[in-house]
Amino acid sequence: MKKLAIGLLILVLFQWLGELGVRVFKLPIPGALLGMIFLLILLSVNKSLLPWLETASSQLIRYIALLFVPITTGAFFLGPTISNDMPTILAVLAIATVLAQWFMAIIIKSVSAADD
Amino acid sequence: MIEMAVQQWQLISGTSWPLMLTISGFAVCFWFYQRCGQRSLLHPLLIATPLIYLAMRLIELDFSTYYQGNGVLNWLLGPATVALAVPLSHQLRQLPKLFKPLTAALLLGGLFATFINLLLIKLFGLSDTILLSLAAKSVTSPIAIGLTQQIGGLASLLAVATMVTGLIGIVVARSLFRMTNIDDDRWQGVILGVTAHAIGTAKAFETSPRCGAFATLGMGINGIWTSLFLPASIGLFIR
Repeated sequence: MKKLAIGLLILVLFQWLGELGVRVFKLPIPGALLGMIFLLILLSVNKSLLPWLETASSQLIRYIALLFVPITTGAFFLGPTISNDMPTILAVLAIATVLAQWFMAIIIKSVSAADD
Repeated sequence: MIEMAVQQWQLISGTSWPLMLTISGFAVCFWFYQRCGQRSLLHPLLIATPLIYLAMRLIELDFSTYYQGNGVLNWLLGPATVALAVPLSHQLRQLPKLFKPLTAALLLGGLFATFINLLLIKLFGLSDTILLSLAAKSVTSPIAIGLTQQIGGLASLLAVATMVTGLIGIVVARSLFRMTNIDDDRWQGVILGVTAHAIGTAKAFETSPRCGAFATLGMGINGIWTSLFLPASIGLFIR
């Protein structure tokens, strides 16, 4: 429990650092993402914070789908202009995803062949 | 600094009883999902949201009251994004071993996944609002939600698009790997992580821990990479 609380506190602090960095340097990225990059840099040079973070981060990531429930429920309230376009949206998503996977497979085939 | 703290506190302090609706709905669906052998089409997010919507209709609860009442969950998206640094830091040591092919696959794959999506949206004549809302769809949700709010899309539409992308990604991946002869579980992981983010990563862990590790790496790097190039290039696609 203590580890969970301290871990969460560290995560929140890094999020704030990120928010602060984004504001000060006027960066066009989400503050939490910059916070994640800060924490990643810190963890790759110094692992001493890692034992404190394991519990909080693994619990948050394990139940992360719960955090998306409110925002995803909002999809039922988008209004007719967008829900009328839903079939097209789904078609675009399907085609884009398949093409992206196929493109990556080709890239990987060519770069790993060049590497061998 | 104080303004930032006040904003976050307002988000948390708005939390009220609709939170119980979310948590109980999710808990039931999560239990059902695990009982049914974790089939991806029974993903708790996919079945919990219509269930909660029906409950809201039944008790005549409007969306903004519901959303505000779930403030603490929305607030936790920030720390959850930061938390991704932990599994990513474990996987970064994989990077030097395959540095060149991995970097090429990650950077080009991430660019292609986003731009083909934007081009198709234009091709199908969808509106700018929809374009801004779908632009981040192959990025993992906590990062994608922040990114979408940043560029001015609708976070709720993005959340659905992300979920649908992940599900399509894992359904298609298996036959794609067979057709293109991608049999190395590391590369399968990278493809799943970049194109199907967290849902793909969960699937990759079912193949092997190594596959899951590479999917985590693909998902994390793609999230950072897309956040860097998307806000800068989105202007090219809107009128």
